[in-house]
Amino acid sequence: MQNPVTQINPLVKIRRNRVLPVAGMVLVRVGQKVAPGEILAETLIPTKHVIVDVLNTLGLKNADEAEKLIDRQAGDLVDKHDIIAETGGLFSRVIRAPMPGKIISIKNGQVLLEVESRKVVVQSGYAGQVVEILNDRGAVVETNGTLIQGVWGNGLIGFGPFIVDSQSIDQELTPASLSLNTRGTILAASWCEQEESLNLAGSIPIAGLVLGSMSPRLIPCALKQNYPILLLEGFGRVAINDQAKNVLIASEQKEMSLNAVKWDHYSGIRPEISIALQSSGALEVESAEFAEGQKVRVHSSAYAGKTGVLTVINPGKTTLPNGLRTATASVLFQNNEKTVVPFSNFDIIDVEDRFPG
Amino acid sequence: MATLLTDVNSVLGLEIGSVQTRAVLFDVVEEAYQFLASGSAPTTCGEPTFDVMPGVIAAIRDLQEITGRFFLDLNNKLIIPSHGGVEGVDRLLITLSWGPDVDVVTYGLLNELSLETANRLARSLPLNIADSFSINDRRSTQVQMDALLAAKPRILIFAGGSDRGATRTVSRIAGKIATSLHLFKAEDRPKVLFCGNRAMARRVKEVLEKETTYASTTNIRPEIENEDLIQASFDLNQLVIDEKMHSINGLERIAAFSNEKPQLTGIGFQRVIRFLGKQYDPLRKVLGIDLGSAHVTASYAGYQESQQITLPIGTGYGLEKALEQSKFSDFEKWLPEALSESQVMDYLWQKTLFPNSLPVSETDLMIELAYARHLLCMTMRELEQHADLVSRSFEPILVGGSILTHAATPWQMLTTLLDGIQPVGISPLVVDKHGILSLLGAAAKTNPLLPVQVLESTAFISLATVVSVESKGKPGTVILKARLQTVSGKVRELVVKQGELSSLPLAFGETGMLLLKPEAKLSISDIEVGKDPIKVRGGVCGLVFDTRGRPLELPKDQIHRLAMLDRWSKPANQ
Repeated sequence: MQNPVTQINPLVKIRRNRVLPVAGMVLVRVGQKVAPGEILAETLIPTKHVIVDVLNTLGLKNADEAEKLIDRQAGDLVDKHDIIAETGGLFSRVIRAPMPGKIISIKNGQVLLEVESRKVVVQSGYAGQVVEILNDRGAVVETNGTLIQGVWGNGLIGFGPFIVDSQSIDQELTPASLSLNTRGTILAASWCEQEESLNLAGSIPIAGLVLGSMSPRLIPCALKQNYPILLLEGFGRVAINDQAKNVLIASEQKEMSLNAVKWDHYSGIRPEISIALQSSGALEVESAEFAEGQKVRVHSSAYAGKTGVLTVINPGKTTLPNGLRTATASVLFQNNEKTVVPFSNFDIIDVEDRFPG
Repeated sequence: MATLLTDVNSVLGLEIGSVQTRAVLFDVVEEAYQFLASGSAPTTCGEPTFDVMPGVIAAIRDLQEITGRFFLDLNNKLIIPSHGGVEGVDRLLITLSWGPDVDVVTYGLLNELSLETANRLARSLPLNIADSFSINDRRSTQVQMDALLAAKPRILIFAGGSDRGATRTVSRIAGKIATSLHLFKAEDRPKVLFCGNRAMARRVKEVLEKETTYASTTNIRPEIENEDLIQASFDLNQLVIDEKMHSINGLERIAAFSNEKPQLTGIGFQRVIRFLGKQYDPLRKVLGIDLGSAHVTASYAGYQESQQITLPIGTGYGLEKALEQSKFSDFEKWLPEALSESQVMDYLWQKTLFPNSLPVSETDLMIELAYARHLLCMTMRELEQHADLVSRSFEPILVGGSILTHAATPWQMLTTLLDGIQPVGISPLVVDKHGILSLLGAAAKTNPLLPVQVLESTAFISLATVVSVESKGKPGTVILKARLQTVSGKVRELVVKQGELSSLPLAFGETGMLLLKPEAKLSISDIEVGKDPIKVRGGVCGLVFDTRGRPLELPKDQIHRLAMLDRWSKPANQ
């Protein structure tokens, strides 16, 4: 059985489909290089309509009679005061468009005008190259670089130089750890428990924030910020796992893209950190069967946020300390501690064991 | 081995859940259908596979290992019909609960009549009511149209008019819907289900069929005072399944082996509860609750009436929505140990990110069972507020959901149910340990013998018959003496005190006659205490007396509360 692999990868070929929720216009071509914030496709989603009631306004008997007087067709663009219908004759009565818009339909003696719409765009999310156009919907963007997948995001996309040091990445984000020097940069910290820290970061403003974890109390505050916040481990007070920490420290000063979307388990879209690199990597392994020797990260219950090596897939079912029986594996952590973890409480983070020890 | 009651002997049920896919085998044993075994595997509709088939195949393989029978050929193709009763199965049933809720909008004439009924219909299935429209709506027509567009519904439920009622208004709304559908591109238009005045069905069809996929069903409010959601919920289920067929890879491939379309899990669940409602005491109701990962489905039925709600809250995928409506104190009151707010909330919020994760330690399990109690409390409140439930007198109560069926001990399961549901009167509590209830409902349509016979078998685990006694006596005072005579002639007696949970042994499958002698002023809902002996059935926790009162009040003071919860963590007389 295949299981998802969480990417914590220093160099990989990243390919992502970027698509609009509805059909629209694609603005890029195959081979084009794109920046993280570049708009790949856009569309207008109608948001406001007006009905012009010709039948009742002119006091006509039926819809057919009204529609004969309407000298317009669906799809026509009209300006404010443009004539929609007129009775003709010496004392012609006229119905005009109340505002500029597009005629959507003419039905039952009524004209439906679309008068306002909202632009929806899809951005690249990272620096890369367009390798495929998805008709009317978007494009596939490819790049080589570092990829780290997170578990929660506040819904925003951002990019900027990544500033980190081996101390701050292990510490709580506090107001004291933020200064004006961090303006326009992406920061990383172990966890955050104070609203004040998130608000101060927003007022500097920073370009993005990578955290190991955050108190769930801060969710409403994080959602209000105007910069992306991405959690790598989850909620509580869990430090960034060792493997991600090593990759992040090695990425100091590089231009980072944060796609802090919320993890959608149904579609598989999840928050990601990417850093474009010149070297070429292998295509990411998205799924794998559990196997001994794989590097795994425990994500739930005790040992959450710890990485280790899967040493044994235990046969049958194991009885857990609380009496539940389920399929488990034995995991050896870096400090040589060994424990039994249910399959459902860890994820594979490396199938090739690029990070021995 | 098998006796041909029908031409179908072995039946394979597939339940494609949010977390697990289960393959369940029913077959004829000694002239009756029996539940034989179930296999399971993680559902693979979502990441990383995005195809239902690997999960289905793995679940069937698990079943093969358990039963020693082969259901798949060398190419992993289902063997159907069976070969001589040793390979394959005669029939396949599929129920489905995986996937995000389908967005719907509802249209009705009056808020408090047809629109309320249309919303009730929508709430019976895993649907998200994105907006509702009626003639009471104070928004202008234009604003309503914009709201419809913003709602992006996949299905539009149109109710209105009793069967000899309004025609002109129904016609006007149909015209309005037709105009509004032009706001959508042809391929994005919602399907319409008309469930209003039958006399208007043809006219509404003429107006709407040109614009979108149209279906009609029975009038959900045929008379002003009466609702009838049964056929409509089945037809709505079909529209939802059509939507899911397009969005779940592999579903059509496996459904091709079945004579019937897959059904939503809730439809089968409702059918069984309704069936049981007709079998039991006509003065009481049967209650069924399924605590699923994404939804809680709760259904109750009496001889004539039945109601079902599907809440978008659950134990995994539906946890986030439940937490958004809850606060720490909702869980804290059920915790038998003092845990900090951050410990509890961090654990639960982390589970929103990893909905399939399992509790490992005693503390994890404690938190999950406290959450399950709160979820049951929320469900009961919803049944009372939105499904006209007036009494918590049930016979029996059937509960499913892995959060409970995986609970370490039957007593933990029992106390969780009692704390959350707080039934009154005498209630048998039954657990759907294998998660087969909805499959039985799905089987009922074409094979009514199967659910009837399996329900009579030992596929379900009776936890206990619970006698809930209400008295104003002081805690610890004797309020009742109970004398139980089992069918085998054994006599057991118990002195029951106020404010406790106590039990008499009465094994699963055993019955006995219970005589109650009040020692104080007390009441047991629907029962004349002390008059005649009452027939009771045993369960793995025996015969249980709950004298803690209704509603169950817990001390505000933490020390007293923890002491009380500790006392209730085992029967008082053990």
